[in-house]
Amino acid sequence: MSSGHNYPHESTGVETRKLGMWVFLSTEILFFGTLITTFMIFKGRDFPGIKLTDVYDIPFTSVSSFVLLMSSLTMVLAHNALENSDQEKTRVWLLATAMLGSVFLAGQIYEFTEFYHKGFELSTNIFSSTFYVLTGFHGLHVFIGVVFLIGLWAIGQRQQGLSLDSGFNLEFIALYWHFVDIVWIVLFTVVYLI
Amino acid sequence: MSAEHKEHPSPKQYVQIAIVLAVLTAIEVALYYTEDIVGVFTDPLLIFLAIGKYVIVVGWFMHLRFENKMVNRFFAGGMILALFLFAIVMIERATGNFFN
Amino acid sequence: MTKIVEPDKQTNIFRRPSSEYGIWSWITTVDHKKIGIMYGYAAFFFLLIGGLEALFLRIQLAQPDNNFLSAAEYNAMFTMHGTTMVFLAIMPISAAFFNYLLPLQIGARDVAFPRLNALSFWIWTFGGIFLYSTFIFGTAGAPEGGYLAEEVGWLGNAPNGGWFGYQPNAGFKYSPGTAMDYWAIGLQILGISSLVSAFNFIVTILNMRTKGMRFMRMPVFTWMTFAVAFLLAFSLPIIAIALFYVTFDRQFGTTFFLTEGGGDPVLWQHLFWLFGHPEVYILILPAFGIVSEILPTFSRKPLFGYPAIVFAGFGIAFIGFGVWAHHMFASAISPVAQAGFGISTMVIAVPTGVKIFNWLGTIWGGKLNLKTPMLFALGFIGMFVIGGLSGVTHSIVPADTQQTDTYYIVAHFHYVLFGGAMFGIFGGLYYWFPKVWGRMYNETLGQIHFWTMLIGFNLTFGPMHWLGLQGQIRRTWVYAEETNLGFWNLIVSIGAFIIALSILIFMANWMYSKRKGEIAPFDPWDARTIEWTIPSPTPVWNFSKAPEVKSLDDFWHAKYGEDEEGRAVRRESADDLLLQLEEEGLNPEEEIILPNPSYFPFVLSSGLPFIGYAVIYKSIPLALIGVVLLLVGAFGWATEPLEEEFNTAEEEE
Repeated sequence: MSSGHNYPHESTGVETRKLGMWVFLSTEILFFGTLITTFMIFKGRDFPGIKLTDVYDIPFTSVSSFVLLMSSLTMVLAHNALENSDQEKTRVWLLATAMLGSVFLAGQIYEFTEFYHKGFELSTNIFSSTFYVLTGFHGLHVFIGVVFLIGLWAIGQRQQGLSLDSGFNLEFIALYWHFVDIVWIVLFTVVYLI
Repeated sequence: MSAEHKEHPSPKQYVQIAIVLAVLTAIEVALYYTEDIVGVFTDPLLIFLAIGKYVIVVGWFMHLRFENKMVNRFFAGGMILALFLFAIVMIERATGNFFN
Repeated sequence: MTKIVEPDKQTNIFRRPSSEYGIWSWITTVDHKKIGIMYGYAAFFFLLIGGLEALFLRIQLAQPDNNFLSAAEYNAMFTMHGTTMVFLAIMPISAAFFNYLLPLQIGARDVAFPRLNALSFWIWTFGGIFLYSTFIFGTAGAPEGGYLAEEVGWLGNAPNGGWFGYQPNAGFKYSPGTAMDYWAIGLQILGISSLVSAFNFIVTILNMRTKGMRFMRMPVFTWMTFAVAFLLAFSLPIIAIALFYVTFDRQFGTTFFLTEGGGDPVLWQHLFWLFGHPEVYILILPAFGIVSEILPTFSRKPLFGYPAIVFAGFGIAFIGFGVWAHHMFASAISPVAQAGFGISTMVIAVPTGVKIFNWLGTIWGGKLNLKTPMLFALGFIGMFVIGGLSGVTHSIVPADTQQTDTYYIVAHFHYVLFGGAMFGIFGGLYYWFPKVWGRMYNETLGQIHFWTMLIGFNLTFGPMHWLGLQGQIRRTWVYAEETNLGFWNLIVSIGAFIIALSILIFMANWMYSKRKGEIAPFDPWDARTIEWTIPSPTPVWNFSKAPEVKSLDDFWHAKYGEDEEGRAVRRESADDLLLQLEEEGLNPEEEIILPNPSYFPFVLSSGLPFIGYAVIYKSIPLALIGVVLLLVGAFGWATEPLEEEFNTAEEEE
């Protein structure tokens, strides 16, 4: 990137920013790994008090998981459209992804509110604390992702449109978004189903 | 950018992959409700399904299958390291009280 | 003279900074060399503060039953000493070396993400300021009924739960007040900075290598940087989450580490040391790299067993992830875990030993040139071996149970981190001094610095071995006269002041030589790596054209050939080569495009302390200020291109 015309870069052949994103995602595994580990350790403990299983609503969460999963599809379609230089379609799919992400977030806010009404609050006990910090941290990631997507969409409105080569890059936002999705795949199983 | 790598899937294939993912999710939810019938196999099956979904999204949607080997190694390295470290912590915390 | 391309149109919303001199040029710079120099100075400043705190500790302990510091102040001082030295001194000084040297060693014009580089520096700076603002804004109350409830001066308004922040001692119940919150959030901010720079260095090494710079041709310092970046990238997330938990426990009433709510204090120890042990290698590996550069140059021999050193470095990095629980042998972990971690701790001595023997092999039979950098490198080997050997004794669990929390441990890790890391770093500071400033340091003062530091260091930390084995306990502000520990404690304190003296000598040498030292010759050390193929001080553009590397130690092979007996013989063309390199280095033929300076890394990072204060004081306005700064920074950053657009046709002047 910071190179003159004849200056070599990308010795590995992978675009520098994309490589950076992959490195970042690799470390994100450790972030979520720590959170999941903590959750699992306490899940196995016997401690009196209200538990997640007393309050959750599997059909509801299943639907919102499905929504997030499908947002990965729209994201990859946006990427595909941009590879085919179809700016119009790219914007549509980007917006669709942002919408699906927002639906998921709204679902999470609704879910948290419900849990609070049922007496499952952040500081109620160790089960609630681990649950909120884990899913909340993921929610924060989704929120940041939605902001990125809307930012991309806004940049796409300008006359040059989006490009895969330079600027605020769709490809690495897409990587981030898919990563947020796979984290939820794990969380849905670990937190809700098992 | 991606032209020099292996060909990425087409939109139609992406939709097919998404359908597979949706079906897997449906099976997961179904497993939750049939825990009484499936018994001890429920949890391993759920983990297996989650891993399957994970691999599909990483491999195809994130194009890791089509990516440079080094990126693959890096990501896999992070995964393996995390699994290794956290498995030790979890086992230690679960058994520590037992041994003492 | 220069052919740096100036932007000819402004495409972004805010005016771009353009000053080349003065304070704004430093605040807005994205040049890795300037950032490296800033890291160096700022870290040295914190090193002095951390040293001052250590002197306070030593004054207090110089005599039995002393009352120079109160118990609470003592707690604050050792906590801040540890935290400062680890996060605000050694890590950033290493970062200074990485920043300055990494692009030069791989032949790049800058790091992969220059603005992210500036960002990590400014986040680090604001994190340091935030942590130290605890002395002004923080409060450290005493737990109910504790003896710490005595009157406390401002020195006591600092975090006092130890740099390891063991729970529940560092929780709100036993460490009331806000000081420990400053600690938790301050470390969080510093962690973000290191994480960002780790990404940057990893990508830089992978992607910015010059022509022919294959992996196995990279200098060892670059390799060690790579290993450190991996360690940072994979260990910092763990402590980040653990610190989140602490902040939640202290601020929002959760009970992650408090047994009364079902939490688990030992989990904190696991998470802390999962990070904390790789951190030890984060501190020492850069020094390994520096020493591996100095020894071959001053022995006039190639590094003995280059691949072995590289793989041993990575061996240390990987095994370093698997030994963390040896810090917890005295905690409630199972015997199986104790046995396993004892074994893995012994195993990690193997790659470390490989390195030691490689260094010895490098010196063996070499023509030693005992200049200051070489002295420090040799001192490093000696001191590090002592520290390493006492380290192996900790892997024997029953012995460790005896040694835990005594001064024996303090002696051990100071031999490793001061005798190891700091000696290596000082060696590096002297070695690359001519590269950075274009002048030579004063050799006599350098030698005096080395010998006073070596003597002071051994007087300080040597006696701690037997003090610890005699039973003097760590982190305790007094000892009784009847213990007969007074004599050696006095010696230790005298040693600490000798170290302080040696640091003053170093500073005097630095300040003087930087301005008035002799002008450095082009290749003062007859060096081996390509950062010496460019003029000193390094031009803004580093390499006037991308160098092509044909072998390991490329510069050496350009200067030296072999005779029939395999001895190195200086080529006749070597002097001409140096002249030619100097000429080319100062007068680039190609046009050079450098990344433009930017305000936004500074703006973005200035938001973080506000968010920190907002969490501590639950203040919405502060949070808003922080978020607005973050957003302005991020928005400006995203809309501003790294390099301004320019028109190639117009710049032929």
